[in-house]
Amino acid sequence: MSRSINDYWYPVGLLSGIDAPHATLLLGADITVGRTHSAYWVTDAAGKALPTIKRFGHLWTCPGTPMDDLFTIPEADTAGRQLVDVGSVRVKCSPLRAVENFLDIAHFPFVHTDILGAEPHTEVARYNVDIREDANEVWATKVKFFQPQAAKSAEGGITTEYMYRVASPTCAVLYKTCPPRPGEWDVITLFVQPLNEEWCEVWPWMALYDDDSTMAEMVSFQQLIFMQDRSILENQIPTKLPLDPGMEVPTQADLTSIAYRRWLKKIGYTYGAQLVAA
Amino acid sequence: MDWVAVGLCEDVPARTVVPRRVQNTDLAIWCSTAGVFHAWGDRCPHRGMRLSHGFVRGETLSCIYHGWTYDGDGACVSIPAHPDLTPPKSICAAQYACRVQDGTIWVALQPTQAAVPELGARRAIRSLAVQLSAETLATRLKQPFGPVITLGGAHDIALAVQPSTDTDCLLHAFAAPDQDRKAVSLALEHLRDELEAAA
Repeated sequence: MSRSINDYWYPVGLLSGIDAPHATLLLGADITVGRTHSAYWVTDAAGKALPTIKRFGHLWTCPGTPMDDLFTIPEADTAGRQLVDVGSVRVKCSPLRAVENFLDIAHFPFVHTDILGAEPHTEVARYNVDIREDANEVWATKVKFFQPQAAKSAEGGITTEYMYRVASPTCAVLYKTCPPRPGEWDVITLFVQPLNEEWCEVWPWMALYDDDSTMAEMVSFQQLIFMQDRSILENQIPTKLPLDPGMEVPTQADLTSIAYRRWLKKIGYTYGAQLVAA
Repeated sequence: MDWVAVGLCEDVPARTVVPRRVQNTDLAIWCSTAGVFHAWGDRCPHRGMRLSHGFVRGETLSCIYHGWTYDGDGACVSIPAHPDLTPPKSICAAQYACRVQDGTIWVALQPTQAAVPELGARRAIRSLAVQLSAETLATRLKQPFGPVITLGGAHDIALAVQPSTDTDCLLHAFAAPDQDRKAVSLALEHLRDELEAAA
């Protein structure tokens, strides 16, 4: 299945943050996002209305012909969750680099030191990765890692279990052990709006079981984490994600990233990718 | 240019790493705990992260992204995600020749038999950035183009020129040992302003 980059759904704003018409970029093209009373809309540079979907607290659009519905996250719909509109962070990097970093756990002890990881607990145990042909998604399961403070609600270190899901080329979902509710998964997402191939607007969003933290505390925890990620993302060379082997050296801990790159190449999603080793 | 000055030793103390650029090549210049200087390509082979954001422990430099650790020869000696793995010899950082002379760090991007340029009996004053190409700088100073420009004058100034890009240089300045450091520094800033303003 190969489709144009224009035929995917992309996030363009928080529903709670859209009011007066706002100019932004999507895949290098000018678009305008706005709201008239309770109706949200997106127009392209020529003023043509683009299709929209309201989901996960965000407004989504598709500049081409949407081939199917935007993915769903059924786990996020269960009652009692706090839905956290984190806001956005602009990052000077490829949208694909931003997603790949979100899929990576080996950096926790060094980038999110004493929060999501800490030396000497650096080992990444073997986990499972598969490209699910039916759903056209990449999944990593049975990912386990020691974390000093896995979430705002976590006290003391625990071994956290994760599942990672790449639901579309620029959107990933993380399912994570939920400290207050064993047996349930906290849902943390990274929705990336590609402004162009080397610049993106990143919209993290969360659906958590957390009765203790305030909304402001949960937002600020996630913003701290992403600011730390940004210091990495804006300093990788090359800026675009290399899809061909040879330019970068992966290890077993990078199985998710290897599958993500392979899948991007397979579906022909090369916007923000570097194809020939430079 | 065979050897290019990339900084004063005092600006890169032990256990630090800094970014530098020579003719558009990004470098990580670092000083080990024992005081040994190294000039490497500013890129971890794993995921392309700049090594100049990394950290020095003992005689090794580690990447800040995943902690991959490289010894003084540039060979990867540790991958923290796999503590029991001996990294393959093929994983290494790009290394460049690096020498210390006259309190200055010198780098050669290409292998060379040439000697490191002499700065005479001068002492290091400071580094300063100039928004001019190395060629334009030499022309405006009415001096031959080269790794070291000797201006002389009351302070007996010499400039080691680091061509960073096609439009920018970093100058490493030296003066007679009896000259007041602050006075020379101010003179250099005036000179820089004049050179940048000259059409």
